[in-house]
Amino acid sequence: MSGFLLRRVLATIPVMGFVALFVFSLLYIAPGDPAAIIAGDQATPADVERIRAGLGLDRPYLVRFAEWLFRVLQGDLGTSIFTSLPVSDLIAQRIEPTLSLMVVTLILAIVTAVPLGVIAAWKANSFIDRAIMALSVLGFSVPVFVVGYLLAWIFSLKLDWLPVQGYTPLAKGFWPWLENLILPAVALGFIYIALIARITRATMMEVLQQDYVRTARAKGVSEKAILFLHALKNAAVPIVTVIGIGVALLIGGAVVTESVFAIPGLGRLTVDAILRRDYPVIQGVVLMFSFVYVLINLIVDVIYTLIDPRIRY
Amino acid sequence: MSEPVSRPPGLVVAPELPDIIPQKTPRKGLLGFIIRNPAMAAGIFILGFMVFVAVFAPLLFTVDPTALAPSRRNRVPSELYWFGTDQLGRDIYSRVIYGARVSLMVGFGVAVLASIAGLMIGLVSGMVRWTDGIIMRIVDGMMSIPPILLAIALMALTRGSVGNVILAITLAEIPRVARLVRGVVLTLREQPYVEAAIAAGTRTPMVILRHILPNTLAPMIVQATYICASAMIVEAILSFIGAGIPPTVPSWGNIMADGRTLWQVRPHIVMFPAIFLSLTVLAVNLVGDGLRDILDPRMAKRI
Repeated sequence: MSGFLLRRVLATIPVMGFVALFVFSLLYIAPGDPAAIIAGDQATPADVERIRAGLGLDRPYLVRFAEWLFRVLQGDLGTSIFTSLPVSDLIAQRIEPTLSLMVVTLILAIVTAVPLGVIAAWKANSFIDRAIMALSVLGFSVPVFVVGYLLAWIFSLKLDWLPVQGYTPLAKGFWPWLENLILPAVALGFIYIALIARITRATMMEVLQQDYVRTARAKGVSEKAILFLHALKNAAVPIVTVIGIGVALLIGGAVVTESVFAIPGLGRLTVDAILRRDYPVIQGVVLMFSFVYVLINLIVDVIYTLIDPRIRY
Repeated sequence: MSEPVSRPPGLVVAPELPDIIPQKTPRKGLLGFIIRNPAMAAGIFILGFMVFVAVFAPLLFTVDPTALAPSRRNRVPSELYWFGTDQLGRDIYSRVIYGARVSLMVGFGVAVLASIAGLMIGLVSGMVRWTDGIIMRIVDGMMSIPPILLAIALMALTRGSVGNVILAITLAEIPRVARLVRGVVLTLREQPYVEAAIAAGTRTPMVILRHILPNTLAPMIVQATYICASAMIVEAILSFIGAGIPPTVPSWGNIMADGRTLWQVRPHIVMFPAIFLSLTVLAVNLVGDGLRDILDPRMAKRI
């Protein structure tokens, strides 16, 4: 077990290395002068010169990459052009709302999508199944901001049940915090729920045809126990995989959801950075999110071995 | 064929039995297709409608979608302005109709480019053993960057234009196609008919062209439709947050971005492009699901 863990952790190092190299290289692949891109639109020629000197473009590419990587590993993601603050500080300031939104969405998606998928598989080809699957196609088709505006319009403007926009830190109480996150989480979770429900249904349908399910039925085990104890356990691996992979959707969607609901998180930071052409901030956010994504999928792989002892690497 | 065959004595051949199960004759033609695949038919119909709207945009009672008119700002939908006007007095109906052009161009453009590039990378990775390790590590790395963020980073580096948006989204989608194609190629190259072709001395390019490529097409076409759908959504997201198509070009994402500040009092500015975008993406997804059921029945059973 510890051997597997070690190998799995070691295997993520080259992946992270390529991510870092890619994010670093983007600046140089892009057409145009890297120094001018970093300096942004309002820079004077002197600013550009200063940044060009700082980039050290005369030195070999891999040397520059190694130096940059070394700084990144020490937590130095560069300096924002617009605010002149370290990018790592900006990220630290904005991380709580984004993390809250993603955790609430994740929990909401899992507790709704898995039962929906199980029911759809159990009642395969029935009206309920068709309804759930139609909802899932809709989930893939309606973009997150459309769902967001629709929900905000119905539940905040027309019914006045929940706050329209904004964010309250968790420190100010659980309910005020959650109240602000419900609508964004539902909007962001819609596509995620569709994805998880679809995979749950597909794997459950396969598992429900197994002999041990028939045996369990024959010996009189209740349907609920068959579905949630016998079958779901054996369908867990693909479901957990897709929950891990789907986090990419959450990260991408969070950027937009925060814009719609005016949540001051990393998404807002990214959007502001785009409008101000503040490239170091964008680079830092992309790198950090990619690291989180790799980390989550590492955790997912470790969870496999816990839920399914048959898996040995 | 009917030559009498000499049989050993005593061997009796059973007479042919009449077919007791009546042959099901599936209804042919357009009506039959609609009955068998109602969802796909609906998808094709909506998609066809959107293509029609995009091609004939100037003829569909539209005005110049970029024409400003400060005197008629923020109108609600009326007989004169079907979808109302925005903060700058531009006619939203015309903008939405012209917006179909951008969305379809980006969707189809990304689907075609990502498929071609992903196909080539996947073929090389699957057929040329020593490249596989390198290519797959790069693909793993690229897939670790959430696609929307990758597109945002690329767009932050370049000037916003339809071409750049297509390229940025394509680059973010290529790894997924390459992965899929490689997987298919790896199973195909173990097939006896491929081994036979290689044993018979067929050159590698010919093996790829004649035996491998045709079999990768079905899963790839299905994948391409999903890429098309996702590219349309990503384009709208990029434009919405200001990292996509230049604001002067009417695209559904841009119209929604324009309506953002006023959405609490004028929700229709956001909702009309939203409806068009959602319907189009839904149509592409329905066509994709239908193609999957037709082209790849094994996958259809699983998902």
